[in-house]
Amino acid sequence: MIKVEGLCKKFKLSRKQKQEMGTGEKTVMAVSDVSFTCRPGRVFTLLGPNGAGKTTTLRMLATMLKPTSGSIEIAGFDTVEEPSKVRGKIGFLTASTALYERLTPNEIIKYYAELHGMDADKFKRRKEELFGLLGIDEFAGRRIGKLSTGMKQKVSIARTMIHDPEVVIFDEPTSGLDVITARSIIQLIRGCKDEGKTVIFSTHIMGEVSLLSDDLAIIHKGKLLFNSTYENFHRQMESRTIEDEFIRIVTGKGGDA
Amino acid sequence: MKKVLIIFAKELKDTLRDRRSIMLMFVFPIMMIFVIMNLMMTLTRSQERKAEEKVLTVALVKKGNADAFRSFLEKQAHITIKDGLEADKDKIDDMIQKKELDFAVVFGDTFDRDIEERKSGTVELHYKASGENNIAKRRIRDALNEYREDLLARRIEVLNEEYTQLNLDRSFVEPLTVNEKDLSSMKEKLGETVGGFLPYIFVIFCFLGAMYPAIDLAAGEKERATIETLLTSPATRMQIVMGKFLTVTLAGLISAGIAIVALYLAIRQSKEIPRQVLDSIMKIIEFKSIGLLFSLLIPLCVFFAAILLSFSVYARSFKEAQSIITPLNFMVIIPVMIGLFPGIKLNAVTALIPILNVSLATKEIIAGTIQTGLLVEVYLILFALAAASLYFCSRWFNREDVIFRGI
Repeated sequence: MIKVEGLCKKFKLSRKQKQEMGTGEKTVMAVSDVSFTCRPGRVFTLLGPNGAGKTTTLRMLATMLKPTSGSIEIAGFDTVEEPSKVRGKIGFLTASTALYERLTPNEIIKYYAELHGMDADKFKRRKEELFGLLGIDEFAGRRIGKLSTGMKQKVSIARTMIHDPEVVIFDEPTSGLDVITARSIIQLIRGCKDEGKTVIFSTHIMGEVSLLSDDLAIIHKGKLLFNSTYENFHRQMESRTIEDEFIRIVTGKGGDA
Repeated sequence: MKKVLIIFAKELKDTLRDRRSIMLMFVFPIMMIFVIMNLMMTLTRSQERKAEEKVLTVALVKKGNADAFRSFLEKQAHITIKDGLEADKDKIDDMIQKKELDFAVVFGDTFDRDIEERKSGTVELHYKASGENNIAKRRIRDALNEYREDLLARRIEVLNEEYTQLNLDRSFVEPLTVNEKDLSSMKEKLGETVGGFLPYIFVIFCFLGAMYPAIDLAAGEKERATIETLLTSPATRMQIVMGKFLTVTLAGLISAGIAIVALYLAIRQSKEIPRQVLDSIMKIIEFKSIGLLFSLLIPLCVFFAAILLSFSVYARSFKEAQSIITPLNFMVIIPVMIGLFPGIKLNAVTALIPILNVSLATKEIIAGTIQTGLLVEVYLILFALAAASLYFCSRWFNREDVIFRGI
């Protein structure tokens, strides 16, 4: 369960950033008054163009960034009050999170399991299960640097899931991946949902939205423009395709043209 | 604490698998020390030998005076005597400038007469001072000294003949004999020489050894995008900083330790240093001094590690970290070099200056002249700096605009 209430994040701008953005403002609101709830067994999609505030929101959920105001509760813990406990409950994966090149899959998985304070028995069982499922066993002793992108992604998935997290956060998990590797991520998200986990993922790819979403929020310039179930989104559509509808909502104009 | 150790163990493993880190931590200090030591010794030896064996062209300008000197000059090895030059000083000087001559010994026109009249005869020695000539000059001086002794002996002989009751000997003309007695011990002299060199070695290698892992473990982790994953693990920022910081500190200490061992081995295997000198050096450098040195090195290394990690976590990439940290090298080398100047001593003021104080304290520790009060001051300064830099480092790891800079 994720409960987000009135979430805001203000960033200070450097002189260079001010010049680039052509603004005299000292700060920028990356996320502004965002509220939503993600429920167990459902996939919550955060859809938005580049720079909409998706990553900032998810980083706040994962306790990497502190909210300027508002509150986040994950699996019953407040992200500001008890960040370590929150991190113990979440799995976090993005397409850009890499693995230590000089370690082997075995070592990496063990490292994160230890950081999660898993006991030896549970770790062994969970590792066998994940390695078998993902087919990691055959390259578990090779260094990450020597593995293909697909293999690395499998290890990343195992790393995210090793402690059996209640809540899983995916930040544009498929961006830059080939179709086959992206497919494994889609399967992972479905698997998490089936296991009753709370799943939130951000994307700007429409195909994934229709494929996975139970709930949908559209974010643009730090503000939520839509927040309901995917069914409701479909029902209220004024445009022919999801893509056009998305553009209509984001730009406030008809997207059919 | 357990999580700190988990992170420390992983970072250490990661670092020890990195070829570049290994090169800088282990191979580089060993190589450098052996190269520096051997190069230095061979160069000084060969320079000396060259100067001693160099055939000197010496002009003897005497206008019929002091013919006896020639035989003294001839006794010296590797000398070609050039006679018959006019007593034209400008021409001689010109020839020396053109390197046609190395030395010119010019006897005054009245030399023989002055000696006859029991006055002092004047000799001018013309040459160009250079590293090599300064050593070679010894040969000319030796010849001149022998000649002087000979003249003196003759004068005394004549005097004794004239006044038989006088019965003079050499001591008459040398009423003052100075016997110097240097009370500084071998240990103190060693403190000046080895003590100046040693901190140079270990401070620099401590810094260099810590530098690469520090860049790799913070900026490198950002660049390779592994830091986000680590930040979403249950480990706190403080635990992450401590784990990384311990690794960097250990890397610096290992590197400095290896440099010192390499220096010891390089001195041991050297054929240039006589056996007895070597044995006495080893006897003087006590186990206690080595222990003291390392106890200074630990807070220094903590200071380096924390500073390096702070800059590294600020940098967006490996390259940026390198360009920030490279100028720091000079900040480290300069105080160490100041410590090498003679006359700069550890006192209440110099003990306040980090790095320089370590350099000066090392000299005194080896010489065995360290004052407890000053040593305590050095420790206090180093510990205060180490604590402050570590605090600063952990603050930076907690700052969103620093840790997310560039990611």
